[in-house]
Amino acid sequence: MRRVALEAQVFARSTWLQYVALFQWATVTGYIAYKVLLPIGQILFFVEFGVFATGRQNALYFALGNALQLTANAGIYGVIATVANERQYGTLPILLGSPANRLITFLSRSIVNVIDGLVTVIVALALVVVLFGLDLQRANLPLLAICVLVISLTTAGMGLLFGSVGLVMRDSIVVANVVYYLFLILCGINFPVSRLPGALQLISYGLPLTRGVEAARQAAAGASLIHVSGLLAGELIVGAVYASCGYVLFRLFETYSRRGGLQEAY
Amino acid sequence: MRLRFVSPFAVLAWTFFPLVFAALGLFVLNRPGVTSTQLAYGVLGGGLIGYWGVTYLDAGNGIQDERWNGTLEQIFAVPTPLWAIILGKVCGGLLWGMLSFLPTLALAFFGFHAFLPHIDALPFAVSFAALTISFFAVAFMLTPLFALWRWAFSMLNGFELGAYVLCGFMFPVTLLPQWAQAVAGLLPPTWATRAVYASTTTEGPHDYVVWWAATIGLSVVYLVGASFLYELVQRKARVSGELALA
Repeated sequence: MRRVALEAQVFARSTWLQYVALFQWATVTGYIAYKVLLPIGQILFFVEFGVFATGRQNALYFALGNALQLTANAGIYGVIATVANERQYGTLPILLGSPANRLITFLSRSIVNVIDGLVTVIVALALVVVLFGLDLQRANLPLLAICVLVISLTTAGMGLLFGSVGLVMRDSIVVANVVYYLFLILCGINFPVSRLPGALQLISYGLPLTRGVEAARQAAAGASLIHVSGLLAGELIVGAVYASCGYVLFRLFETYSRRGGLQEAY
Repeated sequence: MRLRFVSPFAVLAWTFFPLVFAALGLFVLNRPGVTSTQLAYGVLGGGLIGYWGVTYLDAGNGIQDERWNGTLEQIFAVPTPLWAIILGKVCGGLLWGMLSFLPTLALAFFGFHAFLPHIDALPFAVSFAALTISFFAVAFMLTPLFALWRWAFSMLNGFELGAYVLCGFMFPVTLLPQWAQAVAGLLPPTWATRAVYASTTTEGPHDYVVWWAATIGLSVVYLVGASFLYELVQRKARVSGELALA
């Protein structure tokens, strides 16, 4: 019991330190640029493009999809940056030299970004309500909130997987850019997954967001938990698989980077 | 240019990002009833976005990169004027950015069986030249701006997709509310992009001369503004010695 309490303490301290030292948007300029302007720009761009391509009646499809995809901003960029920034600030060797429980260290990288993902989606949904008149009167709001939480967790799970790459790769933030933009095509954000070729549909359902966004769209239309439980369970499993693979990779790359002296390569 | 070949970001900028936006555009537009005018935005939009992305990110960070690499002082100590050094960097960025059209056109042709839009050759060539001039003017102005005020880069980077909206890279700016169109009208690429797309269709207005004149006129204004900013950069670097610390 005492051990658990101690580990909880380490987890809490580690999470706090993640926020104060590695949450890269914790400045006024950074927050406005990437947490206010980016959601506005992304939603405006895709909604206006959607209206141009498919008509005004589909505006909300694009608005809702992109508002939800913004969780990846925190879950992918944020989590990958927690490792990339350790390298940039020269603290990666110290982190890997510490005796702290690796699982605790690993998981604590995502918590602040999960919370940030939730806040980002709330801001984005508020924008969609104000700018495009998203009608949430029929929506199952508690279920929508659960969907947003699940999506934030699963994108952070994938962020942990690619964050591990940061242990051996100098420009791991490049990976974040690739993943973030691929989500826009593969996860049913701007058009249904069924329009993708068969092989890409398979990849799509192996990614976080795809089922979560589908569930959130149904929740916004008033569906109940029973209707979307399968989708949410699938989304959680996908996220857990990525996080688990991420942890295995983290341990493997930790050894590899220590052996090759890659922790200080910058 | 040689540095760009080994930079993962520079390679992504002309290959991956244009492909993503072209694929998105073509998947969304790939439906019955779509017009050739709309399809042109899907085919060329990704390339325009890639071209713009390289210009503002890569060329715009011309001075900032020197600061990161610790070579800022040397740049100011050499007898070559700063504007001449930046000129080379921006032109290199523009050349690199033009490559963005290769993957997007290939994707449209081979991936979506989308025939490349019919192009009215002369207006297209002049409009594309005007677009390049407008990108040059914007990049030339952003370079000292990003060096002087670092927040400017964060803001523009955050609002990158908003810039695509205002420049009309993937849909006409005439779809936007009046106030947004007024803001868009202050950006030189908006007018050139309009002319580029007009040369791919017979529909709608074709006021090329007005659009080219607006592009060149605004580009000149941006270049004049840039000259003041370069003066400020020189002063900060040489007189007060604050630029490397900013």
